[in-house]
Amino acid sequence: MDIKILLVDDESDFVETMAKRFGIRKMPIDTARSGQEALELLAAQDYDVVILDVRMPGMDGLETLREIREKNPLTEVIMLTGHASLEAGMQGMNLGAYDYILKPADFDELLDKVRTAFERKELNAKSRKQGG
Amino acid sequence: MPSPASREAEPGTNAPGILARATGARVWRDHSLLLWAHFLVPPVLAALVVAAALASPELAGILAGAVLAIAAVSARSLLTRLSKAEEAGLALNNQLIQSQKLAAIGELSAGLAHEINNPIAIIAQEAEWAAHLVGEAGQRTGEAFDEVKDSLREIRAQVDRCKNITHKLLDFARKREPVLQEIDVARLIDDMARLVDKEASYKNVTLVRTLPPDLPKLRTDAPLLRQVVLNLMTNALHAVDTGGRIEASARADGEVLEIAIRDNGCGIPPENIDKIFNPFFTTKPPGQGTGLGLSMCHNLVDGMKGQICVESAVGRGATFTVRLPRNPEQNLADGGRT
Repeated sequence: MDIKILLVDDESDFVETMAKRFGIRKMPIDTARSGQEALELLAAQDYDVVILDVRMPGMDGLETLREIREKNPLTEVIMLTGHASLEAGMQGMNLGAYDYILKPADFDELLDKVRTAFERKELNAKSRKQGG
Repeated sequence: MPSPASREAEPGTNAPGILARATGARVWRDHSLLLWAHFLVPPVLAALVVAAALASPELAGILAGAVLAIAAVSARSLLTRLSKAEEAGLALNNQLIQSQKLAAIGELSAGLAHEINNPIAIIAQEAEWAAHLVGEAGQRTGEAFDEVKDSLREIRAQVDRCKNITHKLLDFARKREPVLQEIDVARLIDDMARLVDKEASYKNVTLVRTLPPDLPKLRTDAPLLRQVVLNLMTNALHAVDTGGRIEASARADGEVLEIAIRDNGCGIPPENIDKIFNPFFTTKPPGQGTGLGLSMCHNLVDGMKGQICVESAVGRGATFTVRLPRNPEQNLADGGRT
């Protein structure tokens, strides 16, 4: 049961550390440094869970979220929210994000949320297949 | 043959149960003995009084008084019972009407939004093209087209506003098939409260969580419930004044989990309380709220097979209560059986 995860954040240090931490747990993840890059990756292949920073230069997290919900409705999105971007986190929830996590992210908590988001995606995919 | 009572589901957990109770069919079945007593005891006693009058008129007088009292008590308790049943029926009726109304409005607005989206897109395109032409003409002739450009920019801004509304409408009417997961409600509420905490602290509002540690797990759609809880909390935050208090609580009530968001804000006037779940109903100034928040909550809770209700008085705050079946699949099965 491999979860295909995409981490989207413009902070290189954070992305690299996270990639390493997921790697240690034998959960390789893909990374993108901008919303644009994330959407290109999503167009090329399927991801189960996208961990998305709400604050990024250029195309911001909310805009990216909106696009993901439209083009990949099955993919679950977890928002990365800072203390300065709680408002964006709220909007993200209303735009259909699965959940959010407050930065600095507690890794176990994040892992837990990624797992439940993945579970939902699987359930959703199954019920859609049955439904037609 | 099994007796009808053995097939009865938990009270109030499914529509046929509520319906039976509301229409009185259930009252008769469950309390037939009691009702027989209500109808027969007073006349029987009266007959006794008549019989006693033959022996001693004084005794009959006292007995008649006692029988009158018993009959009055009986009538009174019967009346209470009746009015309760009527109230339950009325509540159910209102609930049904509300749900049907919301569904109808949802469908209508989705159709409308869809139709309006196309012309809006064309207006946006044309405005962009016009801006481009004006820009070129301005360069060639050297004339100042600032005012034209300004009005074109305004057209774009207003078109964006329209688009925003149509997107919200389409989203409002979207059917969501809930995906059931086992979730920890206390954690979910705390997570959402953390999102609101900062904005609350700006207003010097305290957001209290009353969450018992032994809360049972709930099977429901996590992101949908997050939206509902978050919307109710932000709503409460808009309703309270500086220094106000919001309480988010949860408790288990049999097979139902109840989440309540209580505020001590301005409250809802009685003439508005029936309208607050209506789409587009808002008391905020124009442009500051689409009036879709609470109707969205109603929609989402409906989809989760739950109920949402409000209790409020002017100046005494408001309490929004969401009641969700702990196991919606179970209830569905029960509903199909009875």
